[in-house]
Amino acid sequence: MNETVHGEVTAVAAATGSKDPEVALAAVAALRGLVEVLEALNVENARAEGWSWEAIATRLGVTKQAVHKKYAGRRFRLGRSR
Amino acid sequence: MIDRLTDHARRVLDLTEAEASRFGHRYVGPEHVVLGVLRDGANGAAELLRARGMELEAARAELGRLAERGVVARPALSDAELLGTLGINLEAVRQRTQRTFGSQAVAQATREATRARRRGVGRVAWTPLCGPPFLAKRVVGLAHRQAGVVGSAGIGPELLLLGVLDDITEPWPRCMSNRWRRNLLAYVGLPADYRGAARALLEASGVDLAELRGALVAQVGEAPR
Repeated sequence: MNETVHGEVTAVAAATGSKDPEVALAAVAALRGLVEVLEALNVENARAEGWSWEAIATRLGVTKQAVHKKYAGRRFRLGRSR
Repeated sequence: MIDRLTDHARRVLDLTEAEASRFGHRYVGPEHVVLGVLRDGANGAAELLRARGMELEAARAELGRLAERGVVARPALSDAELLGTLGINLEAVRQRTQRTFGSQAVAQATREATRARRRGVGRVAWTPLCGPPFLAKRVVGLAHRQAGVVGSAGIGPELLLLGVLDDITEPWPRCMSNRWRRNLLAYVGLPADYRGAARALLEASGVDLAELRGALVAQVGEAPR
């Protein structure tokens, strides 16, 4: 029974952009989760390619202090084993 | 710990995740492991459950009742469906990201974005890129411990179910309740005092936990090593 109910909700939501706050807010949260990971990946990639904090910040549209505070000192290696 | 899982146990965990998403749960918990064991069917743990009158369909219905009572989350849209409402194809994003940066980098960026020491800057509860949060990690850990006790090299489905039972009785360390975790629980629609719902599911299905544990230990002890 649950599967049908769930299926219907899915079909309705997927067919239209949803104005129901329950769905719309959760969608925004999921999107934010996606954005944060993509940002972390790409900042790390840019640093590995020798970009300065300032150059990265300019592209992201924030101050260099903001990017530095968020990402400095926690470098991880992209796809390489240690 | 994970690498000691047998292929059979891995299949059970895949089915566990499938059961969670089939129900519309945005997380994977110990209760889904019980369903995964049942759905796999071809293992000693499922036999023991069936012998105690627990069948897959009935157990799924029971999980539905637990959701109505608010013990576990109600069915909700998955991340892929939510992003779909915005016109974003999560699968396509995932594939491209993994192809570009490698899955290891994605996993590390995920950790970075969710729970790294970011002092709250841009920290998110979860990210859609790595599937639903696996809240049954301790089940695998306890199965591993039990494997050591009985001297078994690999962790099969029987030990997984034993892990579920131990997870029920083992007290929760205080560090398991922190702000990030409470945030995550709320995010996937679980009550703040969620400690896994395997006990509720098993008891509602009429299974005596202590007796089942005894039978499982006997079976695991007899299994070839």
